[in-house]
Amino acid sequence: MTAYVEECRQEWKRLGVPALFVEEMATELESDLAEAQADGVSATEILGESDLRRFAATWATERGLVAEPAPPRKRRRWIWVVAGLVALILVAWIVTVVGLFAAASVSVQTSGSVQQPQTVESLLVPNFVGLKACRAKRIAEETPGLKVRPFSASRCDAVVVAQQPAAHTILRPRKRGHTTTVTLRLRG
Amino acid sequence: MLRGVLDLCLLAVVMDEPAYGYEMTKRLRERGLSTVGEGSIYPLLGRLERDGLVATHRAASDGGPPRKYYRASPSGRRALAEGMRAWRDVRGEVDSVLATVEAEVA
Repeated sequence: MTAYVEECRQEWKRLGVPALFVEEMATELESDLAEAQADGVSATEILGESDLRRFAATWATERGLVAEPAPPRKRRRWIWVVAGLVALILVAWIVTVVGLFAAASVSVQTSGSVQQPQTVESLLVPNFVGLKACRAKRIAEETPGLKVRPFSASRCDAVVVAQQPAAHTILRPRKRGHTTTVTLRLRG
Repeated sequence: MLRGVLDLCLLAVVMDEPAYGYEMTKRLRERGLSTVGEGSIYPLLGRLERDGLVATHRAASDGGPPRKYYRASPSGRRALAEGMRAWRDVRGEVDSVLATVEAEVA
């Protein structure tokens, strides 16, 4: 019987039950178990269960001597799912915006007075006016997605006085491989 | 539904005369409740004490160490009266349901 009481005493101490109450409960239990034993009643019948630590903890908890174990927190998995989806959407949006900006951005290369786009998806038509025809043709050939309507080789030194599409026209993104033809009006 | 029924029984056996823990167990047996059920009366007594439904005091027992005696407090008496009424209502309802069934235990 003493072993039962001692195990309970250890559990109460472990749980932080004040010493005064530990001794009070231990004394109460020891007296009752001793009397029960004299009556031929087993300790199990008195204690109700074989797990003494659990018994001791339940008793102390019901008396309010130790805090009841906090209920397990509900796992709010849906919050993480929603957060993940939001993050995914945000990333996708950023990637899209950055991609559009990159596509729409026009890097200007200065070659004389001619501005030339580097990208195919969105094209800024260079200003060919004032250039010689062959130089304008060469610039157009170096510009992805752009070409110049053919003209006679004898007019290589003719000067461009007008062009269609006009200079600085932004050609919106179109299918890769699409080529825009610039018609030059030459003089000389 | 049955939660608290044993509490009522414990209050009932210390309604008129205080008793210590093991003595209460013996009184329950004497009155026909031979099986206390899962768990011990001590946690229940602890809860009754915490809730102020029983008052306690220490007194010498016959030739043994001082014992902790429990008796129903005024709050405990009221709780017992209310609990008895609720129990009788429930018992009547359950009896009504079971009365419609003929069953034999094999």
